[in-house]
Amino acid sequence: MDFEFSVITESLPALLAGAKLTWIITILGIVGGMICGILAGLGRIAGTEALGEEPHGIFKPISVLIRYISSGYVETIRGTPIIVQAMFLYFAFPMLVKAVFDIDRFRIEALTAAVITIIFNAGAYIAEIVRGSVISVDKGLLEAGMSLGISRFQLIVYVIGPIAFRRMIPPLGNQFIISLKDTSLFIVIGVGELTRQGQEIMASNFRALEIWLTVAVMYLIMTTVLAWSLRRIEKKMKIF
Amino acid sequence: MSSIIELKNVCKSFGKTEVLHNIDLSIQEGEVVVVIGPSGSGKSTLIRCINCLELISSGELVVDTIKIPAERKKMRQIRLEVGMVFQQFNLFPHLTALDNVAFGPTKARKMNKLKAAEIARDLLEKVGLSAFQNKLPGQLSGGQQQRVAIARALAVSPKVLLFDEPTSALDPEMIGEVLDVMKNIAKDSGMTMVVVTHEMGFAAQVGDRLIFMDDGRIVEEGKPGEVMKNPQSDRLKDFLGHVKHH
Ligand SMILES: Nc1ncnc2c1ncn2[C@@H]1O[C@H](COP(=O)(O)OP(=O)(O)OP(=O)(O)O)[C@@H](O)[C@H]1O
Ligand SMILES: [Mg+2]
Repeated sequence: MDFEFSVITESLPALLAGAKLTWIITILGIVGGMICGILAGLGRIAGTEALGEEPHGIFKPISVLIRYISSGYVETIRGTPIIVQAMFLYFAFPMLVKAVFDIDRFRIEALTAAVITIIFNAGAYIAEIVRGSVISVDKGLLEAGMSLGISRFQLIVYVIGPIAFRRMIPPLGNQFIISLKDTSLFIVIGVGELTRQGQEIMASNFRALEIWLTVAVMYLIMTTVLAWSLRRIEKKMKIF
Repeated sequence: MSSIIELKNVCKSFGKTEVLHNIDLSIQEGEVVVVIGPSGSGKSTLIRCINCLELISSGELVVDTIKIPAERKKMRQIRLEVGMVFQQFNLFPHLTALDNVAFGPTKARKMNKLKAAEIARDLLEKVGLSAFQNKLPGQLSGGQQQRVAIARALAVSPKVLLFDEPTSALDPEMIGEVLDVMKNIAKDSGMTMVVVTHEMGFAAQVGDRLIFMDDGRIVEEGKPGEVMKNPQSDRLKDFLGHVKHH
């Protein structure tokens, strides 16, 4: 078996370009996924005691509706493979739009489809993380807040939020790493991310060992950076 | 005489079980009412109804001239005027003692931060915890946490303070420091207080009225000394026998 170091140096620019794209999709994906996940996570427990007191009047049916929508979203995403979601969004969704709205040239860029897929996919899992952490906040603390006369919004932002967020960090780190690795699946819709770059170089020089080793190390570096940043945040937050 | 809390024929059910039966109670401004009774007799439920943590099922409840249940805004107004101290302290674990106390003034009363911090420092001094203002709840003893919790409740200057077994979760040697703080509030500020406790010494010393509850009803009430000396019902006699042997 021969190991050619020069293969690595030659393919490095292309692989780095792929890594950069992987990183961009991941960052956009987890930022969007956080927003999506917080909304859906809170949505799944809207109007329940976990977010303060139960709503009255018109807010009651509204909160039920919000719960159904959020749950439907989470279950749909969790119940289907991410690769199917990406293909659906990239290939099937434009056809659907064409048929329904009669728009002729509607299409989604592969990169856009990749980012949206990660956002919605990570969002569903993050929603469960958010929901779990919020539910785990001691009910006595909510009552303490309410008995001071603060609003539900203040209760969520100043009491539930900070306490729940600290508990979210470890599982979030896990999800971020999963999302980063999931970007490799976008090879199927032709996004030039790291795995696809590796695949293309491999197809031209057949140097599987050097290429996949380099690709693996690059993923490892990126996931390590993610994990490390989250640990920094965790340490920065006061210990309680 | 103006009563600040008025219950007429109040019932409270959880699902199908009624846990408060036809409660009539009128509490005057500045009065210190001590509530005793066996576990499950409805003491907590009663005071939780007063600050709308539970909604009554029927009857009439008026707090600070507001009839409950009311719209959300008014209920929040009531909570602002009726503070609560819990058995488990329930301090916000992510905030220092000072920030816990300043929380109500800044968030509920929309006071500016400097002013709120000033009030919080004064209150912490009052409860003897000036040296601990930058500590997180997790770094304080139970007695210290409960004193911070009392300061937090006082910080929004409520008209009424409710205490739900404030010393029951404390080690015996810390009970005194918390009761002392409560005694001072009763004496100095003329605060209306409703205190659920089994500390009979406290009841005798600062209580204007003692209420004995059993099975969701007010069974006996009167001047603490008299009620304790001359219990009428067998249940109260029995109960007093139990708490004395604690
Ligand atoms: N949220 C609730 N849902 C259902 N039942 C409840 C609820 N809260 C209280 N109860 C019931 O209501 C009754 C009165 O409870 P409450 O907590 O008011 O009693 P208590 O006098 O405070 O007792 P303790 O001394 O143990 O604190 C009990 O039978 C209790 O099981
Ligand atoms: Mg109780």
